[in-house]
Amino acid sequence: MMTRLIAAEFRKLLTTRLWLWLLLASLAWAAGYCVLAIAVSQTPPVVTAAGQHALFAIGAGGAGPLAAILAAAGVAGEYRHRTAAATFLATPRRAPVIAAKLVTYLLAGAGYALACAAISAAVALPWLAARGTPVSLAGNGNLAVLGAVIVSVALFGVTGAGLGALLGGEVITVAGLLLYLYVAEPLISRITALGSVTAYLPGVAADGLTQASQAGVRLLAPWQGGLVFAAWAAVLAAAGTAAVSRRDIT
Amino acid sequence: MGDAAGRIVVSGLTKRFGRVTAVDGLSFTAGPGLVTGFLGPNGAGKTTTLRMLAGLVAPDAGRATISGRVYSALASPGRQAGVVLEAAGFHPARTGRDHLRVYCTACGYPLRRADEVLEACGLAAAGRRKVRGYSLGMRQRLALATALLGDPAALILDEPANGLDPEGIAWLRGLLRDYARSGRTVLYSSHVLPEVEQLAGQVVIMHRGRLVRSGPLAEIAGGRGGLEQVFLSLTAGSAPPGSQP
Repeated sequence: MMTRLIAAEFRKLLTTRLWLWLLLASLAWAAGYCVLAIAVSQTPPVVTAAGQHALFAIGAGGAGPLAAILAAAGVAGEYRHRTAAATFLATPRRAPVIAAKLVTYLLAGAGYALACAAISAAVALPWLAARGTPVSLAGNGNLAVLGAVIVSVALFGVTGAGLGALLGGEVITVAGLLLYLYVAEPLISRITALGSVTAYLPGVAADGLTQASQAGVRLLAPWQGGLVFAAWAAVLAAAGTAAVSRRDIT
Repeated sequence: MGDAAGRIVVSGLTKRFGRVTAVDGLSFTAGPGLVTGFLGPNGAGKTTTLRMLAGLVAPDAGRATISGRVYSALASPGRQAGVVLEAAGFHPARTGRDHLRVYCTACGYPLRRADEVLEACGLAAAGRRKVRGYSLGMRQRLALATALLGDPAALILDEPANGLDPEGIAWLRGLLRDYARSGRTVLYSSHVLPEVEQLAGQVVIMHRGRLVRSGPLAEIAGGRGGLEQVFLSLTAGSAPPGSQP
């Protein structure tokens, strides 16, 4: 049954255009970041391993919030467009439906990350080689960073789906995600008085996982960040599933 | 449960929203081979009852079963009951055909069922257009097409004629009549009493969350004034206790 439900969720996802627009935005960010980092300047410089990691961690990793928005819009959109009734008429047991959505957006996030990593590599590697700094994907620990980016963006997908299920309102969920990830968290994570606590916030933990370091922000080690972000995703997924199971469809 | 296939049994069903009791100890049955008209003024609790029957709203007391089971316990719910609750519930940017194919996939039906029900509901030409451009009548037909995907033993419809043009109403009447004649159950709510008199074999009348009358149409509406007079006298003083959610 789960295969059927996941296939149905993918059919929902792919029969409207939002996935395409958000993928194009992710690709534009990933490619644009590489261009700026190489052509203009970057600290650390791209000749160093840390500089190369940032191309993937910040460039391709930027797909994370967009994968979360895709998921939140898809899950909470079932209430906004009132398709939840048809969905739960087809499958009255609600927990498996939400599980299928979580898997779908986990995979969609991984797909976004792969596409963005590919465009980052396609922009950065030939260019750096032409400038006399040949960089290999397998060298300098670049593969580990790519793996971390894929896990991170996939977990963003789960987080967004869980939050959308929990709140059940598309506009509030998407607006909340945008405000939190792009405004609130960057501000909070730079308050030095809070110490290392801010490293445990979901988006900052994700940055720890990929080591997408920014000036003035404390990060966890990759494995710690990965565990903390996975815990956030799991808690939201569980809370979202419980909320949907209890909510009347009126 | 072969003998119970498609039979709808509502017993002691109760639902409260805050301080408003929308449905209050409601009991009735709707059997196969018959169209059952489900009547009541606005706010009587019909929609809430149908949503409880479909497992979308959890009752506070009592139960509602289809083919002997509550909806959420049905092995293949789409084959037991087709439900239309409103002419809405479509993503505006998805085509009607894609909408149907999503539920074919979810239920494990072959994708060609989508084209078959589009054809049966007169939407073959509109199937590849986005729902955003559909009229109310076309949305009503698409909702009905969704309900028909599993060729169910019972149809449960909330004001299915709403938004249909005269040709659509005649088409719907034929479809529901044929459905009941083939030995299946049709339970539908309506405010159009002359329509119900043409079609229903049995009626269930609700008022302020409670059952006020149920039985064969001939018995209830046989006297002077017909169904309308009976309905108006049973539901007099019609200020509803609360509006529908």
